[in-house]
Amino acid sequence: MSSALIADITAPSVNYYMLAPILIVLGGAVLSVLVEAFYPRESRRSAQIALVLTTLVVAFLAVLNIKVDAILGFTIVNSLAIDGVSVFLQGLIILSALVGALLISENRIDPLGDAFAAQSSALPGSEDELAFTERGWYQTEIWSLFLFSVGGMLIFPIANDLLTLFVALEVMSLPLYLLVGMARRRRLLSQEAALKYFVLGAFSSAFMLYGSALVYGFANSVELGDIAKALSASAANSNLMLVGGIFILIGLLFKVGAAPFHQWTPDVYQGAPTAITAFMSAGTKVAAFGALLRVFYVALSGLAWDLSAVLWAIAIITMLVGTIIGVAQSDIKRMLAYSSIAHAGFLLLGVIAQSKAALDGSLFYLAGYAFTSLGAFAVVSLVRDASGEANHLGQWAGLGKRSPVIASVFTLFLLALAGIPLTSGFVGKFAVFAAAYEKGLAPLVVVAVIASAIAGFFYVRVIVLMFFTDASGDEVSVVVPSFATAAAITITAVVTIVLGVIPQPVFDLLSNALFLK
Amino acid sequence: MVIAFWICAALAVFGALGMVFSKKAVHSALFVALTMINLAVLYAILEAPFLSMVQIIVYTGAVMMLFLFVLMVVGVDSSDSLTESIKGQRVPALLGASALGVILIGLLGNITMTNIGFDQAYVAYDGNIDALAGLIFTKYLFAFEATSALLITAALGAMVLTHREHAEKPLTQRDLSVLRFKSGNHPGSLPSPGVYARHNAVDIPALLPDGTMAEISVPKPLAARGAIRLIDLASKDEVQALNRGEAVITSQSTDRVEE
Amino acid sequence: MELNNFILLSAILFSIGAVGVLVRRNAIVVFMSVEMMLNAANLAFVTFAKANGSIDGQVIAFFVMVVAAAEVVVGLSIIVSIFRTRRTASIDEASLLKF
Repeated sequence: MSSALIADITAPSVNYYMLAPILIVLGGAVLSVLVEAFYPRESRRSAQIALVLTTLVVAFLAVLNIKVDAILGFTIVNSLAIDGVSVFLQGLIILSALVGALLISENRIDPLGDAFAAQSSALPGSEDELAFTERGWYQTEIWSLFLFSVGGMLIFPIANDLLTLFVALEVMSLPLYLLVGMARRRRLLSQEAALKYFVLGAFSSAFMLYGSALVYGFANSVELGDIAKALSASAANSNLMLVGGIFILIGLLFKVGAAPFHQWTPDVYQGAPTAITAFMSAGTKVAAFGALLRVFYVALSGLAWDLSAVLWAIAIITMLVGTIIGVAQSDIKRMLAYSSIAHAGFLLLGVIAQSKAALDGSLFYLAGYAFTSLGAFAVVSLVRDASGEANHLGQWAGLGKRSPVIASVFTLFLLALAGIPLTSGFVGKFAVFAAAYEKGLAPLVVVAVIASAIAGFFYVRVIVLMFFTDASGDEVSVVVPSFATAAAITITAVVTIVLGVIPQPVFDLLSNALFLK
Repeated sequence: MVIAFWICAALAVFGALGMVFSKKAVHSALFVALTMINLAVLYAILEAPFLSMVQIIVYTGAVMMLFLFVLMVVGVDSSDSLTESIKGQRVPALLGASALGVILIGLLGNITMTNIGFDQAYVAYDGNIDALAGLIFTKYLFAFEATSALLITAALGAMVLTHREHAEKPLTQRDLSVLRFKSGNHPGSLPSPGVYARHNAVDIPALLPDGTMAEISVPKPLAARGAIRLIDLASKDEVQALNRGEAVITSQSTDRVEE
Repeated sequence: MELNNFILLSAILFSIGAVGVLVRRNAIVVFMSVEMMLNAANLAFVTFAKANGSIDGQVIAFFVMVVAAAEVVVGLSIIVSIFRTRRTASIDEASLLKF
């Protein structure tokens, strides 16, 4: 009966140029699953690393290719939007993923192997696990999961309807839930972090979905553009739109780690393998802020006035929670997690301000923060004692005397996180705060500056600890990493300085970065 | 229709409340299954026959069964611990969530809803399933493709976290018995002391058919202490005689024992 | 047929699900509550589809079922792996990570 009707369904036009980065990364992920199935175990790890790095490099070239000769626009019936912002974000995500992949591939700093359990399904300390470790076998499925997650991150900020947004959110998050729970050392901590991340993540995505349902009821469409049109056209059932908008924001704010939806951040950052923490802190933040900016700028701008009170409160709470509770932390990874919460608060200023300058500032801020954060966590993974990483702040005392190079590089990252001039952090903060001030958000800017000052205190505290305090006598050493980690730290440090000293090229790049509406 | 709605709605809410308030996780799972079946009926009322079937097959058939399966794995009677790890968190949580519900119902209670139905939507298509396919493979094509990534991730994740591989193949029963004989130890059970001897005391070795002593029949600690009592030569002859099938008249002096 | 009642039902189910997530301590039950919330969203989608006369809501509900199935697999495998290590399914037992 339907054979006659098949002709009625016209296949949607697919712009493969625009989709190339996503298709390459997801295709690479599928290939990596095949490698997992058919490659001999002994050489699987190197094959996977080669595959992942090649995939990411080719995907990056594909992103550059979009910029050069493809016409920007929507594709597959408006479900994806390729515009200046999405090209920039995709490029940024792929570069962060490249650095992240270098960190994940590190297997020199831990005498037992890489940062992941030799076999996550075996009980920690069981005979099976020991046998795997002895033979030098690795859990190579992490690479497939990693690529799937990167694919989701590439889709998330360019999704132009709420369904694609939801699916992309899950594609991005599910592999991360798994990767968080696979640490080689302190497995219980890691598994608990995975459980917490999963439960809270599923909870927040349920909120986002219910919000989407209400918005669909209001606008009779889930396309961001249609929602904006419906919002400007009708005032009937505005409750539906308001509640729906807030619920969608809850889902997105959870992913960016804004208070009061931040509870997962410190636990997950602490429990996850440090390489994954580094990748998450950069990739998830960029992708989620990209999506938040797109949803807010494209779909919900008509609701900005209604939501402003909520967003102001969230921004203020986020900045204060991130900085004040951050001061009280004694674990370096938790401290960096609270720092990431504080940065989410600063970035929210760019979301609220809703101007071209604020958008540019936020994107620049994201670029700077992504590399700084990757670098900072990379350094954290090098400072170790006999049982693994030495994450307690007390153990970092006197590091400047034992290993001046690493301590100086870490100081650079901390200064960038604090926003000291001549680092990328300063330029990003300045751009966002200035844009917010122009839009009349002076009270928020004042809070942000105060919060920055408090945050500066705990970054400086670590610097003082490293350089001007004597070592406590613990057996803490800075391990000499393999080429991969060394390259990652060098790249991130150079980017942090270059973006701070000559930021103009990036702003030029951003000059045509606009959201397609 | 109206009656069906009220019955199903009541049962669905009953199932949801049962899920929250039942002590045992298994009961919760069964209550959830109840809610989901009723939702399937509601979908049918809302003119979504395909979804109604998928709801039953996927949710009650697959998802809830998976829940039950995992409950069996982790132990059916894993009930809640009533101690709160964060003090006084439960009551505010309950109040907060209830407030959310009240606000939600208050805000959604007074919306005006049209009831257009699908006559217009089905014009180009041949009924419900056709129309769904028309959208899935055009407007939502990308989401459809992206879900495949999700399914691969799920399969991979389940394998990574729960499928245990062994570095070497585990030994079978056959391998084990081969190993037992190869090692050269006595494969069967040891002879017990006192066999063919005049005494069956634990410190007297058994005699083999040729009349010699079987030292393995005596517990090793006794042998190590030199506490084995040797038997007299007469009994050796008697054993040999027994083996030849001759009648043996045992002497009365059974207690003659050489040290 | 009054469609408002369907939306109210979905709001009630969503809230009960949220209560379950916040109040129950057994990870598996918490997870069932999340499923309940997703189902409430599905009911809202299907209701609005009929109300607005567009089939999109049904398509989305269908996708949500697929996503939920994948999520269930990942979530339950995390729960099983943590249970094996720890022999408990309570999320509060998992308390090495303190505030």
